[in-house]
Amino acid sequence: MVNYVLRRLLYMVVTLFFISIIGFFIINLVPGSALDARINQLRAQGGEVSYQEIESLKARYGLNDPIPVKYWKWVSGVVHGDFGESFTYQEPVGSLIWSRIGFSVLLSSFALIFTWVVAIPVGVYSATHRYTVPDYVITLIQFIGVAVPDFLMALILLVVASKFFHTGVGGLFSQQYQNAPWSWARVGNLLSHMWIPVIVIAASATAWTTRVMRANLLDVLNQQYVQTARAKGLREAVVIWKHAVRNALHPLIMTLGSLLPSLISGEVIVSIVLNLPTTGPLYISSLINKDMYLAITFLMALSILLVVGNLLADLLLAWVDPRIRYE
Amino acid sequence: MASTAMSPVRGQAGQAEDFVIRVEDLRVEFRTPIGVSSALDGITFEVPRGKTLGVVGESGCGKSVTGLAILQLVPLPGIITSGRVLFRPHDGSEAINLLEYERMGADMRGTRGKNISMIFQEPMTSLNPCYTVGNQIKEAILLHQTKNHKEAKERAIDILQKVGMPNPERIFGSYPHELSGGMRQRAMIAMGLSCTPDLLIADEPTTALDVTTEANILELMRELQQEIGMSIMFITHNLGVVAQMCDDVAVMYLGRIVEQASVEEIFYDPKHPYTISLLRSIPRLGTNRKEHLEVIRGSVPDPYTRVSGCPFHPRCPSFMPGICDKVYPEALHLPSSPQHLVRCHLYNDLNHQEVATSSGDKSS
Ligand SMILES: Nc1ncnc2c1ncn2[C@@H]1O[C@H](COP(=O)(O)OP(=O)(O)OP(=O)(O)O)[C@@H](O)[C@H]1O
Ligand SMILES: [Mg+2]
Repeated sequence: MVNYVLRRLLYMVVTLFFISIIGFFIINLVPGSALDARINQLRAQGGEVSYQEIESLKARYGLNDPIPVKYWKWVSGVVHGDFGESFTYQEPVGSLIWSRIGFSVLLSSFALIFTWVVAIPVGVYSATHRYTVPDYVITLIQFIGVAVPDFLMALILLVVASKFFHTGVGGLFSQQYQNAPWSWARVGNLLSHMWIPVIVIAASATAWTTRVMRANLLDVLNQQYVQTARAKGLREAVVIWKHAVRNALHPLIMTLGSLLPSLISGEVIVSIVLNLPTTGPLYISSLINKDMYLAITFLMALSILLVVGNLLADLLLAWVDPRIRYE
Repeated sequence: MASTAMSPVRGQAGQAEDFVIRVEDLRVEFRTPIGVSSALDGITFEVPRGKTLGVVGESGCGKSVTGLAILQLVPLPGIITSGRVLFRPHDGSEAINLLEYERMGADMRGTRGKNISMIFQEPMTSLNPCYTVGNQIKEAILLHQTKNHKEAKERAIDILQKVGMPNPERIFGSYPHELSGGMRQRAMIAMGLSCTPDLLIADEPTTALDVTTEANILELMRELQQEIGMSIMFITHNLGVVAQMCDDVAVMYLGRIVEQASVEEIFYDPKHPYTISLLRSIPRLGTNRKEHLEVIRGSVPDPYTRVSGCPFHPRCPSFMPGICDKVYPEALHLPSSPQHLVRCHLYNDLNHQEVATSSGDKSS
């Protein structure tokens, strides 16, 4: 098991290495980066200071070097914790992104928890009450959940929230907590702002997962071992939750790996609509402005989240299903 | 040490009238979108205490449904529409109609696994892959016998040893996928016997196994039956196994019992044309290889349509027009042996000539 994890970690490093090369190349292929724009701006200003700054930028990012050298300069910076500079924000990338990545991870994790906490019981209920009115209602809601685009749902919830709950709209904090130091009150304020984005991000995943859970459980309920469990004299609740659900979770965990990217991309759209200080909006603007060091750092951070998420999903699978053994 | 898990021998043979289970006029319907199929169409039989009843018949005749219906475990859309399932516990108390219990109620659950247990055809899928064999056997013991986990574990290991597991402690902690088919079926039998039931319903327990393993499992079941004095309802379509295992046999066709008798009479003096054809369709040593095996003409009709008269008449070699396709035959006791029941118009007016000719087969 330890061996397996070590091997997976090694594969992860290799994967990330290739992602960084390919990502870096593609981002550098596009002419007219934010760095060029910045240099042009400095040139236009003229003067000794600007000239020196241009020279130091050129030297640091290897502006006239071939791409592999640029790549090398960037990687050796990253190893020392220097991720480069955002030329549109004129700030080091490092100080720009950490809090945003934190909020993104928080939002996506909450969305994932929400998805499972809602989808599993609802799916179980739906499967065990097949062809009853509640099952039809759940099915209808699922189709709506899958069909309504995230941004529309975000807008609807915004209206609902401001009309009926009188909570602040957009952002993750109310005005007075925006720049306040961390305190319990600030955490509470954060949570009260988070439910809208969490629901929006999780909506379609929840609908879809409920559907999968229902189908899996119906499958499992036809298995012989469920009948065996009943024939032992177990209560129906034990038959369902101990013997059937555990087996039905298996495909759900397997799809966890592919659920993560959809949660992350859902987060991007929702964050733009709701103006949240997460990675999404900044990532998009960095790509539009060709702010390359900001963009590549985001790309790498999201990739790391994905591969780690996949590893966790696989370990969870091994824990749930004893037939899976990692040598 | 083994005897701690088992109660002493009970239900001594001899009391002919004593039954463990008596099924009366049991009817089960499957109400599906394409129509209603009568899986069981009024069957009546009993399993004598300490004996083995074989239930045979072609695929789809309702053997498994019979077993499941006794435990009220017929899967939806199947429902039990009428009948009684009388169960008489070994302490000699009054017979109880199990169908009066609520399907998932405490009484019915208390009967399942404790008084009546069932093992299934597919050893590969009848154990839950997510839990150890020990966990699954312990579950039944904890439910019906003791609340003490340590004691339950001891009993489970005990019973695993009893069913001939080579290393019971290790098997206790093994997952089903780590065991072979034969071992899994032993584990299933261990689970079925863990609470020393009065009746074991074995639904084709050896069909999926190879011949050697099958012989071992059958031997094991016979031994354990002797030891704890339970009754067995043995569902199979293998007549060879019936000859080895059973005291009585019920032959089913399309949800009905067409003939019922002791195992000797079924094999040496079969009455119903369907039973006769079934027996002819098994290969025997010493027959000419060039001779074709006899097969039963036609095939089982679609379960959603009702056949008028005797359900077997479209395939019957002794079909009598005007009677067999019009009137559903009553169950008849043969005058020569009152325990022998047959549903066939050939014996309707106790046509002694017919009876005489077919019993002439006995010598051949
Ligand atoms: N889930 C179901 N849905 C609809 N009909 C069913 C269902 N299960 C059983 N039946 C009906 O009940 C009849 C008897 O089925 P059963 O499983 O008892 O047959 P069997 O005698 O055990 O056959 P086999 O030897 O193949 O196990 C079938 O012919 C079918 O019409
Ligand atoms: Mg069957």
